[in-house]
Amino acid sequence: MRFMNLTGAAATAAAMFLGVATAESQTVITIGIGTQDTTTNTVTTGTIVRELKLYEKHLPKDGKYASVKFQLEWNNFTSGPPVTNGMMANKLQIGMMGDYPLIVNGFTFQSNPESKSQLIAVSAYNMYGSGNGLVVHKDSPYYELSDLKGKVVSVPFGSAAHGMMLKAMQDRNWPADYFSLVSQSPEVGSTNLQEKKIDAHADFVPFAELLPFRGFARKIFDGVETNAPTWHGVVVRTDFAEKYPELVTAYLKAVIEANAWFRNDPKTASEMVAKWTGIDKEVVYIFMGPGGIMATDPTIKPEFVKDAAEDAKVLQNLGRMKEFDVDKWVNDSYIRKTYAELGLNYDKQRASFENYEVKGEDAFCKKPVTEPRKAGEIWVDGESIMPFSSPACTLGAYSDFKAKGKKINVAYVYDTERGIKLFADQAFYSIGANKNEIAPFLLKKDAEAHAGKIGGKVIGFADALKVAASGG
Amino acid sequence: MPGEVPPIMARAAAPPSPSMSEPAAAPELPAPAETPARATTPRAIKWLSLHRMQLRALLLGAISLAIFLVAWHLLTKYRVNIYIRFLNVPSPEAVFERAVRAAHDPKFFQHVLLSCRRILLGFLFATLVAVPLGLIMGRFRLARDFIFPVAEVFRPIPAIAWVPMSIMLWPSNEESIIYITFIGSFFPILLNTLHGMTTVDTVLVRAAQCLGARERQIFREVYFPATMPHVFTGLTVGMGVAWVSLIAAEMISGQFGIGYFTWEAYSLVQYSDIVLGMVCIGVLGLGSSALIRGVGRLVMPWNR
Repeated sequence: MRFMNLTGAAATAAAMFLGVATAESQTVITIGIGTQDTTTNTVTTGTIVRELKLYEKHLPKDGKYASVKFQLEWNNFTSGPPVTNGMMANKLQIGMMGDYPLIVNGFTFQSNPESKSQLIAVSAYNMYGSGNGLVVHKDSPYYELSDLKGKVVSVPFGSAAHGMMLKAMQDRNWPADYFSLVSQSPEVGSTNLQEKKIDAHADFVPFAELLPFRGFARKIFDGVETNAPTWHGVVVRTDFAEKYPELVTAYLKAVIEANAWFRNDPKTASEMVAKWTGIDKEVVYIFMGPGGIMATDPTIKPEFVKDAAEDAKVLQNLGRMKEFDVDKWVNDSYIRKTYAELGLNYDKQRASFENYEVKGEDAFCKKPVTEPRKAGEIWVDGESIMPFSSPACTLGAYSDFKAKGKKINVAYVYDTERGIKLFADQAFYSIGANKNEIAPFLLKKDAEAHAGKIGGKVIGFADALKVAASGG
Repeated sequence: MPGEVPPIMARAAAPPSPSMSEPAAAPELPAPAETPARATTPRAIKWLSLHRMQLRALLLGAISLAIFLVAWHLLTKYRVNIYIRFLNVPSPEAVFERAVRAAHDPKFFQHVLLSCRRILLGFLFATLVAVPLGLIMGRFRLARDFIFPVAEVFRPIPAIAWVPMSIMLWPSNEESIIYITFIGSFFPILLNTLHGMTTVDTVLVRAAQCLGARERQIFREVYFPATMPHVFTGLTVGMGVAWVSLIAAEMISGQFGIGYFTWEAYSLVQYSDIVLGMVCIGVLGLGSSALIRGVGRLVMPWNR
């Protein structure tokens, strides 16, 4: 294995030196693809396609490509801008990134004389903006955004999470200096938060879930509160796409297959993705699993185009960008063609906002899951992920597994109001007289409001478990 | 040089161009045109011959910079693509335009000032620790054998790898940043000092001992002056590396510093600003190296 890697590296090095000769001859086509392995909602357009060799599978082998040898060069980055840089330098032809970096990508390409870039597909989205989030240190006294007035909040500038922060401040009519907003990359921001050097860190997928899961952070603001979609997408150099349209559709076929592969067995898929990317499988599953935070869907919905135009406006207001024609930049002809070739209905899929949901039989309360966004799931270590029909049943089953001495990886519940998938041990629970009506919430203030309405109280996970165990 | 000196000499020694020299010379000296020319000529020549080499260096420097700028301009204007590609490299005009805008922005100066302060502090601490340590390691074999292996392990670690550790080690971010510039400049200073100590002529040391000098005196009178030139080489190199570490260090800051400015420009893919940051770091680096050389000349007048 090691030897193989070495020869591979040697071959790449040789190819780099011989690059001039091989690139000119028509027999070798090099395709550079910029991925973001750690940004979990791009895995179906990047990591999975690479690891399962799906692109190789769909690349055309006949017609004008009969004598062509394809050389795929995968490059992994932790954020969008380096991908844009690689695309500008023509080292990458295909790249994927979040909504804001995508706009910057399109705008940056406007001054490129060789090629423009175009949005050809979407990786995954959340219609209400969940995925981006703001976390604080778990020991900090902050529970909502306004608690952070005058505090140091770091966010990677130019990222989707930056967009979320700007939108949140705009919505509340807060001045630009409401927080002391500083720019830190996810790596730097995470370490700084752990060391309590900053008061809060806002970030894109998967950090607002990953950091709480790693045990030192608490999410106090979810992008869902901005009510603006967040999404990741795929951009391509137009000189490449226009010369080899078949290679673009082949890539999109691979993406569609990767989506199907994940949904077919989300547990195994999460484990594999965790192995490939280093993001914990429980975190991958909360995003990409059934009823997860992200819906994978390659179609370019009109809502995203509208959102892109608004993002562009935000960037213009910040003086980061000049004129940018979003409509010219969006090109759904390749994904339409791919759908047609696969015999799928593009317009139907484009109009649909459905994700796949939690389903099955609740083994604890002995009834089927009927309301997937009121359900719960428990991942027992070394065993399967089991569905439960309600938060109370989930917590009851959790106590039951514990009593039987089983090791639980993680449990998921849904926010009662917003329908976002949560880690059960991070949620706030509102509980009234009826113990079966226990309601989980992401935000303490939502839980308090609910408790006020039903005349109950707000408790944490440990207490909720006790209540469920005694009541169940 | 051939472009500079002849015209001046020609003007000074040539009376047959009265239209040029007379109006300028007339109000100053009432004497005939011949005399002032003769009076100033020897002084000008003397001044010229005294500063000939400096002038030449200045001129050559200016010419090479001009060639660089013109080449940059042409390469980006015609978007040259000869294996190395200048397609999307920002032109000097674009960078200049950004520089003009930055010059009107007080925030930009804040970036520069903060960076200078960080470099200065990091570099100062590095000097204060590395120079004495190098002297001791050079004098005492025991200290050298004890410390050298550790230093050699730490030396090749790049500044960017220090970022997460530095955040965790120090209570504030400012200290983390200064620590990274410190680490960058520490090793070149240490190694050069150490190397300077090994080049000290042992005959001189023995001679001093024969004359009854004690350890402290030998250090002061023999080792220290002999090592000085190497120490200053180390300081110059160390200052360079401190600036090299700056972008990595200021990734932590999240707000200010010329390294952060460059880093932020990268995250927003603003190529002109990236180059502006690069040029700025280059110029500041040049200035600080010149400063150290100047101090070196003051401290070691014998070394001129």
